[in-house]
Amino acid sequence: MKIHVKMIGPLIYDVGFSEKNLEIPERTTAERLLELIRVPKQRPRIVTRNGRAVAPQEELADGDRIAVSPIYSGG
Amino acid sequence: MNGWTGNILRVNLSAKTAKKESYSEDFAKKWVGGRGFAVKILYDEVKPGTDPLGPDNKFIVALGPIAGIPAPNTGKAVVAAKSPLTGFYGDGNLGTRVSEQLRKAGYDALIVEGKADRPTMLHIEDDKVEFLPADEVWGKGTYATNDWIYGKYGKGVGVLNIGQAGENLNRCAVVRSLEGRAGGRPGMGAVMGSKLLKVIAVKGSRAIPQADPQAMKTLGQGDLKKVGRIDKESGWSIQGTTGVLSFCNEVAGLPVRNFRKTHHSDAWKLDGERLNNARVATYGCPNCTMRCGITIHDHEGRESELDYENIGLLGSNLEIFDLPQVGSLNYLCDDYGIDTMSAGCILSFYADAIDHGAVAGDFKFGDAERAKELLRMAAFREGKLGNLLADGSRRMAREFGHGSEAYAMQVKGLEVAAYNCKFIPGQALAFGVAAIGAHHREAWIITFEIKFTTRESYGPEKAAKVIELQRIRGGMFESIVACRFPWIELGWGIENYPKYFNTVTGLNWTLDDFWKVGDRIYSMIKLNYLREFPNVSREADYPPAVWFDPANADTDGPIAGKVLELEKYDGLLQHYYDQRGYDRRGIPTKATLERLDLSQEAAVAEKAAKLG
Repeated sequence: MKIHVKMIGPLIYDVGFSEKNLEIPERTTAERLLELIRVPKQRPRIVTRNGRAVAPQEELADGDRIAVSPIYSGG
Repeated sequence: MNGWTGNILRVNLSAKTAKKESYSEDFAKKWVGGRGFAVKILYDEVKPGTDPLGPDNKFIVALGPIAGIPAPNTGKAVVAAKSPLTGFYGDGNLGTRVSEQLRKAGYDALIVEGKADRPTMLHIEDDKVEFLPADEVWGKGTYATNDWIYGKYGKGVGVLNIGQAGENLNRCAVVRSLEGRAGGRPGMGAVMGSKLLKVIAVKGSRAIPQADPQAMKTLGQGDLKKVGRIDKESGWSIQGTTGVLSFCNEVAGLPVRNFRKTHHSDAWKLDGERLNNARVATYGCPNCTMRCGITIHDHEGRESELDYENIGLLGSNLEIFDLPQVGSLNYLCDDYGIDTMSAGCILSFYADAIDHGAVAGDFKFGDAERAKELLRMAAFREGKLGNLLADGSRRMAREFGHGSEAYAMQVKGLEVAAYNCKFIPGQALAFGVAAIGAHHREAWIITFEIKFTTRESYGPEKAAKVIELQRIRGGMFESIVACRFPWIELGWGIENYPKYFNTVTGLNWTLDDFWKVGDRIYSMIKLNYLREFPNVSREADYPPAVWFDPANADTDGPIAGKVLELEKYDGLLQHYYDQRGYDRRGIPTKATLERLDLSQEAAVAEKAAKLG
């Protein structure tokens, strides 16, 4: 299935891209996606799907827009 | 007394007098410093009803026991006065060498009274206080003024100054310092301007009294290095605060078109990656190892320092998706000395009011060139329009009528920071109950709401989070005085701050002691508000009405069809009041005030209005 991934802030420099379309296997979880794109495990982050927070074990769906962001605190 | 100098410098510009006044250890422990000192002094010395732009208002610079001492990140000062924008207590903090220099000169605070008979530079060097003419820079912007001061005293001098906006009593005028710092959103620069006070320049040569200077030196300098290392490892300062723009855009929390929309397909043009790619230089405050001031060349080729708030409000909120043009608007605000956040909200409100037929005009969203002219008109109060723009969106809405009050993006007169809370209830509460009006400085809980709770919830856990952050951000950091960024953005332990405080003062405080001081400060600001507005009601703590308007709901994206619900928001507000010990008007009860050792202040407030 196809999803769109957007990296935010310093995470861009960790994974080497800011956003792109990705082909991933059916039933890929949010946690597995982070492994696939090599987000360092120690980085605190929030993952959203179509603007809503997604839990690590949630399975992604075709057409999802995924954003991976540091835990910002609003300055 | 260690940690505090124990002295306040009181200056009267009318009489050209300066007096060193000592204060007691009890006062120090009760109010700590910074915002604590400022709110108490203003409560005691500025009568309710005082004209904020008249000689009886007082301008305060206040520092705290760790201000200016090398440690993370102590190069900040609080500026405060009765606000000409909101009509009650107002303050702000900014990075400045004044934090170190005023303390080395022997003072923890400066009180400026009266009004000078000509444009003046207040020059303080230890015990020497001079009232020097500043006619040469009156009428000039903050950059030229800063250069003029550096030309006289060198770069190490502590500086506070204003631009043309402050001189012309623009109610959103800020105080400026260093090469790109600003603070005092609720018109603190206009208060300086009303006193014909263009510049404060400070140099000190004494040691700041400390219980254990050697221990503090080792601790503070070591921790500065550690914070710098954490910043490098995390990469936070590559984009600084501007990384949050993409996050807000993803979760539908970005201000777009006067907060009418919450996200935009062109937002990427303004994001942290683009900013970092365009970076010309990096600036920071004194005692900082995670510098967040990123400059770019603006549309006219000048260096302009951008952060998230000014990009959000002068960029996406005005539908200007051109980073150099946003840089130009930001540069003008900085040079004129206008608050970038209020400026963005005022211009967006004006465009929106024209769109909605509340007023006739020629300004449209996306028009950067006209926005530049409008900023100039506001700074110099040119004509009727310039005067309106200089008075802030609340006063503009009263003038325009036609229901425009609903979309003037302000709370208590202070314009909203760059977070669109159309469907973020807890952050809407944070703006509603922010002590001085809709500032983000005191509580920001958007990630908490989205990741750790249900976004739709109006539950007590959100009120509790707002209070927790107010105690830390609006209470402790604003009184000790230090920048919150190492803790908030890098996870630098909050327990480090009592450690710094105890090392300089020789006391043994815990975080709970600071929470009590924070609660006291918030209660005092509420009493200040009550004295100015005795008929206060809870509606004063509501965010802008447009966030509750179903007709304003997004038509696409993550929160399509959703807006805040008024009844539920009111319930959330009540949770906040209950947890704070406030009555249904949002005023601390007598029992709360007694618990916070504020009985005497309560008795003063009762002359204006009854307490619950």
